[in-house]
Amino acid sequence: MENLSWLFWAYAAGWLLIFGYLFLIARKERGLRKKISELEETIEERWKRR
Amino acid sequence: MDRMVNEFDDKPAFPLWFGALAALAMLVHLYLVFVWVPTEATMGIVQRIFYFHVPAATVQFTACFVGGIAAILYLVTRDNRYDDLSLAANETVVVFGAVNIAMGMMWAKPIWGIWWTWDARLTSSFLLLFLYAAYLVIRPAAPVEARGTICAVVCILGMADVPLVYMSNRLFRTQHPSPVMGGGQGSGLAPEMMKTLFFGMFAMLLLWWCVLSVRRRVARLERAAADLTRRAHELDDLRRD
Repeated sequence: MENLSWLFWAYAAGWLLIFGYLFLIARKERGLRKKISELEETIEERWKRR
Repeated sequence: MDRMVNEFDDKPAFPLWFGALAALAMLVHLYLVFVWVPTEATMGIVQRIFYFHVPAATVQFTACFVGGIAAILYLVTRDNRYDDLSLAANETVVVFGAVNIAMGMMWAKPIWGIWWTWDARLTSSFLLLFLYAAYLVIRPAAPVEARGTICAVVCILGMADVPLVYMSNRLFRTQHPSPVMGGGQGSGLAPEMMKTLFFGMFAMLLLWWCVLSVRRRVARLERAAADLTRRAHELDDLRRD
């Protein structure tokens, strides 16, 4: 079982990079959805006031 | 007023069954790697990094081609959907490229005794990753009206670099091992190793497609947010006039 720790850390790094990226894009998507709904409300308000 | 985020964007980025299939494939792949496949005689257990390292490179190259073809289609049609696809694919090139290089380094250290060497394969892989990272830096900095075109050109250059990376350990003597498939006399893998490798590639491609679909939807949302911001400013200007 020589080098088992290298094998473990290599797979851990691979999965961490993939899941880390997925976490970041999921967070970005939540932020964008919030921003879009706020912008839609702003536009609707301005449209009515025009 | 039309809603910018249509119903399509509220649906899952990929079908649930597809995500379940990708997750199942990755679990089966882990079983094959850690339980089923025999241990390689010379390098021992650490050689099992190979079954994730090579599929990550396969996904990286596939993403380069998908991004490059989407960039060409964007230049021909000027359809923003292709630009979104290209952006999504290029970002996954960086992610899977980083996975490939990080795992390669962790394999190199116990076997070669060094983390890194500037041989043809490693250097060309690093340059490919660097080129796509540069794409991600250039994109937000480029002027909006020319952004798609500039990015498409960078992306096509990246795609053109892939054959060079692939052929580097065939064309030059490298520290990196010769290819195990089509690498000439003495190359090849045991049948169990070959099956595990191919299954790994299949599983990783399924996973990549899920990641790509999610990123593509985020790219559409980014475009919708930019359009809405512009519209809000236009209405503001009209009101002031």
